[in-house]
Amino acid sequence: MAGRRKVGMQHGMHVGPNMTPMVDVVMVILIFFMLGSSFSSPDWYLTNNTPAIKGGLSNTKTKPMPATRLIIKLEMRGTHTMASLPGLQTEDLSGELYHRLEAKRQVLGKDVQVLIKPSEDVPYQDLITVYSDCVGARYQHVAFYAPA
Amino acid sequence: MGLRRGIKPMESEHVNVTPLIDVVMCLIIFFLLVGHIAKKAAVKGVHLPNAKNGADLADKSGEVIINVVPRRSDSSGVQHAPKIIVWGQDIGYEQLKAELRKYKASNPNLKLVIRADKSTHFKYIAPVLEDCASAGISSIHFMTKRPNS
Repeated sequence: MAGRRKVGMQHGMHVGPNMTPMVDVVMVILIFFMLGSSFSSPDWYLTNNTPAIKGGLSNTKTKPMPATRLIIKLEMRGTHTMASLPGLQTEDLSGELYHRLEAKRQVLGKDVQVLIKPSEDVPYQDLITVYSDCVGARYQHVAFYAPA
Repeated sequence: MGLRRGIKPMESEHVNVTPLIDVVMCLIIFFLLVGHIAKKAAVKGVHLPNAKNGADLADKSGEVIINVVPRRSDSSGVQHAPKIIVWGQDIGYEQLKAELRKYKASNPNLKLVIRADKSTHFKYIAPVLEDCASAGISSIHFMTKRPNS
C-alpha cells in the first residue's frame, strides 16, 4: 500500500479521496433546497392600519378616524354571506360589491372610514373577500367592527 | 525562474475543490435552518383564504405570525374555539394580549401577520384584532393566498 502511494507521488498523481461524486451530490442537494425555498412562499398579504374598533366608535386606541363613515354589514343567510351598504340592496359576495364600493368612493371621496361589521358566524374567507374589495376600490381606512 | 523552482513535481494538478465544498455546505446548512424556522412559524392545518388584491411583503424582518388553527368540529357541526399558535407554542386567547404587548415592547417595528383558516368564524377573529389594537399594534397583515395558487 505504502509502496503504491509512493509510486503515485513520484509520478505527480493525486492521491487524496475522489471528491467528484460528493460535489455532485452536494450540488444536487443545494439546487433542491434553493428551488424548494422559492416555491414555499406563495402567500401574499393584505395590510390593515386599523385592526379593530370595539363597541362604540370613540374608544379606539389607534389613529383618529375620518369623519365620514361607510358601514358594510355582513350577515349569514343560510350558507351565503350577504353584504349590505347604506342605500343599496343587500347582495351576496359574487363580485358586484367591488363596483358598488368604487361607485360609493367616487361619491364620498377619499377620506372615508370604512367599517366592516360582520355577524359572529361570518367565515374569515368572506371577511377577506370584502376587505380585498375595499383595498381594490382604493379605500385607505378600513377597520373591522368588533362586537362590544 | 524563481516560480519554476517553487513547483514540486509531486503537487496535484487537479482543481482544489475544498473551498467550494465548504461554501456549499454552509449554504445547505443555511437553507436547512431557514426551512426549519419557516416550518415553526407557519403551522400546518390552516387553509388560507383567497384574496384578489394582496401584495407581497417585501421586508419580513421582525415578522411574528399568529396562527389561528381550527379544531375539528363535533358531530353537530358546531365550531370550537381555534388554537392560537405563535412560534410553535399554543398560547391560547388568554395569553395573547400579554404576548402581543411583549412583542411590541421588544420590537417597535413589529410586523404582525394573522394566518387564520378561511372557515374560522368572525367571533374567533375579532378577539385577535381587539388584542392587537389594545396592544398598540396599528398595522397588521392578513396572510392570504393568490386566487389561482
